[in-house]
Amino acid sequence: MNPNLKKYITSLLVAICLLLLSGKQALAQFAEGYLYNLSNFTGVVPYSWATLSVDEWQNEVYVVYQNLVTVFNDNGMEVHSFGDSLDIGHILDVAVEENGDILLLAFNDTKSSVFRSNYRGEPREEITLQDLPPEFAEMHANRIAYREGNIYLASEAQMKIVIVDAQGRFIKGFDLIRIMGIPEKDRADAGFSGFNLDKNGNMLFTVPVLFTASILSPAGEIVSFGKPGGAPGKFNIVVGMVVDSQGNYLVADKLKCAIIVFDKDLNFIKEFGYRGEKPGNLVAPESLAIDSEDRLYVSQGRKRGVSVFKLTHG
Amino acid sequence: MRNSKKLYITAACAGLLTLGFTGSAFAFHSGGVAECGGCHSMHSPAAGGTFLLVGTDQSSTCLSCHEHAGDTGPSSYHISTADADMPAGVAPLQRTPGGDFGWLKKDYTFTVRGTATTELGETHGHNIIAVDKGYAVDTENANAPGGTFPSNQLACNSCHDPHGKYRRLADGTISKTGAPIVGSGSYDSSAAPAAGSAVGVYRLLAGAGYTKDGVTYNGVPAAKVPSSYNRKEDATQTRTAYGVASAGGHSTWSNWCSTCHPNMHSSGNMVHPVDQGLGSTIATLYGQYVKSGDMTGTAATSFLSLAPFATNSSDYTALATLAKNDNSQLAGPGSSDQVMCLSCHRAHASGFEYMLRWNNEGEFITQNGVWPGTDTTPAAPQFARGRTGAEMQAAYYDRPATTFATYQRVLCNKCHAQD
Ligand code: HEC
Ligand code: HEC
Ligand code: HEC
Ligand code: HEC
Ligand code: HEC
Ligand code: HEC
Repeated sequence: MNPNLKKYITSLLVAICLLLLSGKQALAQFAEGYLYNLSNFTGVVPYSWATLSVDEWQNEVYVVYQNLVTVFNDNGMEVHSFGDSLDIGHILDVAVEENGDILLLAFNDTKSSVFRSNYRGEPREEITLQDLPPEFAEMHANRIAYREGNIYLASEAQMKIVIVDAQGRFIKGFDLIRIMGIPEKDRADAGFSGFNLDKNGNMLFTVPVLFTASILSPAGEIVSFGKPGGAPGKFNIVVGMVVDSQGNYLVADKLKCAIIVFDKDLNFIKEFGYRGEKPGNLVAPESLAIDSEDRLYVSQGRKRGVSVFKLTHG
Repeated sequence: MRNSKKLYITAACAGLLTLGFTGSAFAFHSGGVAECGGCHSMHSPAAGGTFLLVGTDQSSTCLSCHEHAGDTGPSSYHISTADADMPAGVAPLQRTPGGDFGWLKKDYTFTVRGTATTELGETHGHNIIAVDKGYAVDTENANAPGGTFPSNQLACNSCHDPHGKYRRLADGTISKTGAPIVGSGSYDSSAAPAAGSAVGVYRLLAGAGYTKDGVTYNGVPAAKVPSSYNRKEDATQTRTAYGVASAGGHSTWSNWCSTCHPNMHSSGNMVHPVDQGLGSTIATLYGQYVKSGDMTGTAATSFLSLAPFATNSSDYTALATLAKNDNSQLAGPGSSDQVMCLSCHRAHASGFEYMLRWNNEGEFITQNGVWPGTDTTPAAPQFARGRTGAEMQAAYYDRPATTFATYQRVLCNKCHAQD
């Protein structure tokens, strides 16, 4: 072999090893710092299990609670709210498009509907879902997400997800019962939680009764991980799930009262939170959201509101 | 998408891929003890509190799964509606036979002839203590009325065995051991236990020898419920087939409730008869009664899930046949079928005071053909009692008001026909 080439290859290998090592290093340095709880001028807002979404362009967080949507800025202060006077049904979830338009998912007795509103929350149009195949036609969606022109609608109870375009035209549907190999008779007793997207449009969710967290690609490939147990890295009752800027997965455990962190290859990194009264402790965390600057929002029970953490990666 | 492919492969390499769950249990309790990690956190650094339930109370632990913010409607095994989904004027979402604990949070205030009245939510049922979920101890009753069970200890596991140890064996008897539990025994569709195996008892309820805070149960009550039981009854009724069994580890329904309410039971007390045959007069009235002023019904279709009776049978196969939600089994009672606590009350909570199945406060449950409501019948606040018409309808499990008479009287009349 040409000695130059050999030298080249060796240094390349060394470089790769170093890269890998520094990669490991970076992972080991995952850290979280508690910032504050979402507040308004009267203090911390005492939500219990509010539903969270972020506007990743403005880094604002949207909190849905009792038919009211409240927007908080990146300092955790309330800036705006809407929804209580709208006659569109019970608002369950929201998602924000690049241009600041807000997608509102509402449920009205028997049917979910999607509305596009301006940034103030004034509905402009209803997005009618079109061309849904029969198996998705009766879907009672209760979660909505948005990524690059596509709208994702999920029914946690029915274990179904559909992707539609900005006009509501059907693109693809997923029946998680079939994808995960769960018998049809157990559909109602399964159910998933924590529906979210990563940057590439992969769908994240957890199935608490199976003690698993899953990543589903738009192509329909699924990876599920997790083992029941109380030890660090194991799952008690898993709910919310998000992915940070480095590709780490964060899973909220409602019983353990912790956020469990895995790297992008699903190796367990650490847990944080835990039940308690100290800043940074968590009480029955559920919904999670993360903004583009790795601020993690954690919705809790016992009127503990929404805690905000800043994630750093060394 | 390229990214996800990579992930898929790396995960496969790491041996983490668990595609398909073939072989594992999909339900949680499956009639018996569930995965310990669903309720106990054995090694959590912050563990502690009672029984390693991570510092929380027993009922909050159960509600971690049995309540879920974001439900759109009745949702399988959920028996409580989250605060997030229940703004003022909106009823709880679940419609199980036991009832949605969310009614306990529904305080109603109204003014009748100048007098303001508040009907506290806590009067709507069993105030289980679940602090994380915003459920607190009853402020009125320090103990179970007619008994000594302390209200400040009332939890899911006061009535349900969290470990589901009680089982129904192939010979029909109930025991805590003797054969492994293969699944739930609650449903019309649950398989009968084969020799050498067992199924869980109805709703994992506490059985003989289960002791809690000074009371001890004598047995489990018999019943069967349709496998889809958390549903609106606007079109068809959900028939829970309550049975009558007292041998082999069983207890009648009223004796079971009387574990904590011994003096609410009829024997020797001035309360409504229970565990007693309806007799032919009442059984006949039940069969004929349609609504106030209408006795033209046929017994074969007279069942009303708002005033159910216990079928005088301990045969689970017979009960399973009756437990349907498609109106195919609406036969009324025979004279030996019985009145019991659950003929009038629910087990968890209801939209009404005393956890009754209907509004017993006032003479009419409908007004001029509609469900009374602050919006529907503003001139009759004594019947709406601070609820909206929609909340009232929800409390009747979404039946249209036209199921009943335009001025329907209380449902005691289903058996007594005094109207
Ligand atoms: C559905 C929830 C649930 C599951 C699943 C569960 N437990 Fe429990 N466990 C409880 C509750 C609630 C208590 C507290 C009982 C009380 O307050 O009396 C408890 C108490 C206990 C206790 C102490 C008191 C006693 O009853 O003996 C032990 C030991 C125990 N559990 C072991 C286990 C084991 C082992 C498993 C798994 C095989 C398990 N549990 C699964 C809910 C659960
Ligand atoms: C990890 C989630 C989870 C937790 C925690 C949990 N449950 Fe359940 N429960 C379920 C699911 C899922 C079902 C329906 C499937 C089944 O029965 O296994 C269910 C069903 C039930 C049933 C009906 C069972 C039957 O066979 O009729 C009862 C009763 C019940 N749960 C009581 C409790 C009590 C009491 C606790 C707390 C001590 C509890 N559950 C904790 C998930 C949970
Ligand atoms: C483990 C003990 C226990 C069992 C078993 C029990 N109860 Fe109770 N019950 C209580 C306690 C304690 C209270 C008082 C606290 C409250 O009202 O929340 C109560 C209150 C009540 C009330 C009054 C509710 C109100 O708000 O005014 C009714 C009605 C009732 N029970 C009916 C029943 C029926 C029917 C059953 C059987 C299905 C039953 N109970 C089984 C403990 C029990
Ligand atoms: C006072 C006793 C009592 C208490 C307290 C109680 N249950 Fe029940 N539960 C029952 C009875 C009785 C039934 C059966 C009701 C029927 O079929 O009419 C039942 C039914 C259920 C069911 C089946 C669905 C339904 O509502 O019919 C579930 C699930 C359940 N209980 C869970 C719970 C959980 C979780 C808690 C605590 C938050 C709890 N229960 C507290 C007595 C109780
Ligand atoms: C025929 C219908 C009916 C039956 C059967 C019935 N109850 Fe009641 N119960 C009522 C009504 C109505 C009330 C409201 C108070 C009143 O009018 O006495 C009530 C009130 C109660 C209370 C609240 C008492 C208080 O002081 O707050 C309890 C507890 C109770 N019942 C338990 C039971 C139990 C346990 C059984 C079965 C042993 C039972 N009930 C059977 C209709 C019934
Ligand atoms: C499921 C059927 C049923 C329902 C519903 C019912 N009852 Fe009864 N009631 C009976 C039976 C059975 C008897 C006993 C009749 C007998 O012994 O002749 C009875 C007896 C009575 C008695 C006579 C008591 C006695 O000691 O002789 C009164 C009063 C009464 N009921 C009132 C009510 C009221 C008030 C309600 C509604 C809150 C009600 N009943 C609901 C079945 C029912």
